[in-house]
Amino acid sequence: MSVTDREFDVLAKLAKLEISGERRAEFLKDFEELIAFADSINAAVVGDTVSISDVGGETVAFENLRTDEVSKSLPQEKITSNTQSENGYFPVKRVVK
Amino acid sequence: MKSVINELSSRLRSGEITSRELTEKYISAVEKKNVALNAFVHTTFDEARKNAAYADALIRDGKGNALTGIPMTLKDNICTDGILTTCCSEILENFRPCYDAAVWEKLKNNGAVLLGKTNMDEFAMGSTSETSYYGAPKNPLDETRVAGGSSGGGAAAVGAEIAAYAIGSDTGGSVRQPAAFCGVVGFKPTYGTVSRYGLIAYGSSLDQLGTLTSSVTDAALIFQAIRGADERDMTCSTRNMPQITLDDDVRGLKIGICGEFYKGLGSEVKNAVESALKRYEDAGAELTEIKIPSLEYALPVYYIIACAEASSNLGRYDGIRYGHRARTYSDVEDMIVKTRSEGFGKEVKKRIMLGTYVLSSGYFDAYYKKACILRERMKTEFSKAFVECDVLAAPTVPRGAFPLGYSGGNAVETYLSDICTVPANIAGLPAVSVPCGVDKDGLPLGLQFIGDRFKDGAVLSASYFAEASGICDIYGGVR
Repeated sequence: MSVTDREFDVLAKLAKLEISGERRAEFLKDFEELIAFADSINAAVVGDTVSISDVGGETVAFENLRTDEVSKSLPQEKITSNTQSENGYFPVKRVVK
Repeated sequence: MKSVINELSSRLRSGEITSRELTEKYISAVEKKNVALNAFVHTTFDEARKNAAYADALIRDGKGNALTGIPMTLKDNICTDGILTTCCSEILENFRPCYDAAVWEKLKNNGAVLLGKTNMDEFAMGSTSETSYYGAPKNPLDETRVAGGSSGGGAAAVGAEIAAYAIGSDTGGSVRQPAAFCGVVGFKPTYGTVSRYGLIAYGSSLDQLGTLTSSVTDAALIFQAIRGADERDMTCSTRNMPQITLDDDVRGLKIGICGEFYKGLGSEVKNAVESALKRYEDAGAELTEIKIPSLEYALPVYYIIACAEASSNLGRYDGIRYGHRARTYSDVEDMIVKTRSEGFGKEVKKRIMLGTYVLSSGYFDAYYKKACILRERMKTEFSKAFVECDVLAAPTVPRGAFPLGYSGGNAVETYLSDICTVPANIAGLPAVSVPCGVDKDGLPLGLQFIGDRFKDGAVLSASYFAEASGICDIYGGVR
């Protein structure tokens, strides 16, 4: 299955990645090989009707959810220690102009 | 093979050596060997000395256990409070977590000594550790070969005896495959037995913390210290797990042999596995043929699910709260795109793109949903198989360690080497890799035992026979 340039751009936008320049053609080729590899499952599934919400249910203990209450959290200065925090906030460029 | 942990622990408890002295010996060994091996990406010698002092106090007060005072490593995707945790990616180059992962919390409380963080494929995405931002770790048995991946640094450190044991993570074989390549023991426990709190996520339904050790005995000791319920990880099981007793009596043990694991194997791997299994048969185990037809689709199922989950998990890296941030950008959206494009390596981008593709409108049913259906089918087939046998035996990897720089013919060739390891992750099963022979270049080959969910004791016990009977002594006991 081949991926058009337009489809590739839409995917890159969804993934919030920019793949351009000389490496784009190589990347596109690798990507098509990966999709062909993924395509091999198509012959295997015919007529199964498993709901996606049933998948993996046994691995999550929904009956043991912790109480929905405020608990101790990490101090703000520690949370912001991995960025150049301003007054305890995460600074970004203005979004609303 | 011998239990390094038991041997060191008995020297510590007898007072022959202190943890502080032992730690200094290991630090010297790391300083000497790591330049060539590149197994550690961050050393934590100050932390190690602090841990050792705490361990010595525990031992003095008679409160220590087998793990107290033993120098070890953590893979660089396991969060350590205030200590660099980069996932070997540029995007997390300067990231210092503000909390400890549950696994390190438990080990630290047991008096473990952290020597450093080990090398890995970027975000655990790879089979050679060559996608690491810090360059690949080398195989301690042949430095022109890879140590495997993605927990390559941990396997190299244990193989080179510069750490007593290593904690890694296994999403599709990332503990067992490097263990096989470096001639050590790799154990991936049942999904849900060890808390993943603080393990930086790749494929959350597949990720599991595991151990790289010099012996099966050591793997069992560590597992019993790190397993158990944790309300911070809702996939962590609350069931009581029995004490593990290793027994080398394999009389009556039913070992399942599934042809899908043996398709297209080279003669060296086939002979090594077959001759190891003959030793089991001679000791009273029974080999029985098992069919798991959907294993044929294990690789694409694994890559579809892993990449889909990765595309979602790695969405958090936006340069706002931590990690790399692009220097120049026009607005917030541009900042996120530039940050991610600069910070992620090629393999990570490929997997994010594939994951985005299989989850996108129009392709979700064709890929992701079908992969989930096949996953459920595979789980059912495994459950039926474990009615007929106690454990399954298979090669760990269809070959010995790749040469450094080996890329194969196309984008998926190295993925194919994961054929024998991914099924255990897809079905959440426990699996152990032990050394069972060497290839023509003298490089180790691995034998893998896979068990039913929560039968971790059964796979460790089955593997223990290989250790006790000398199957694992692939170099005649001398490396």
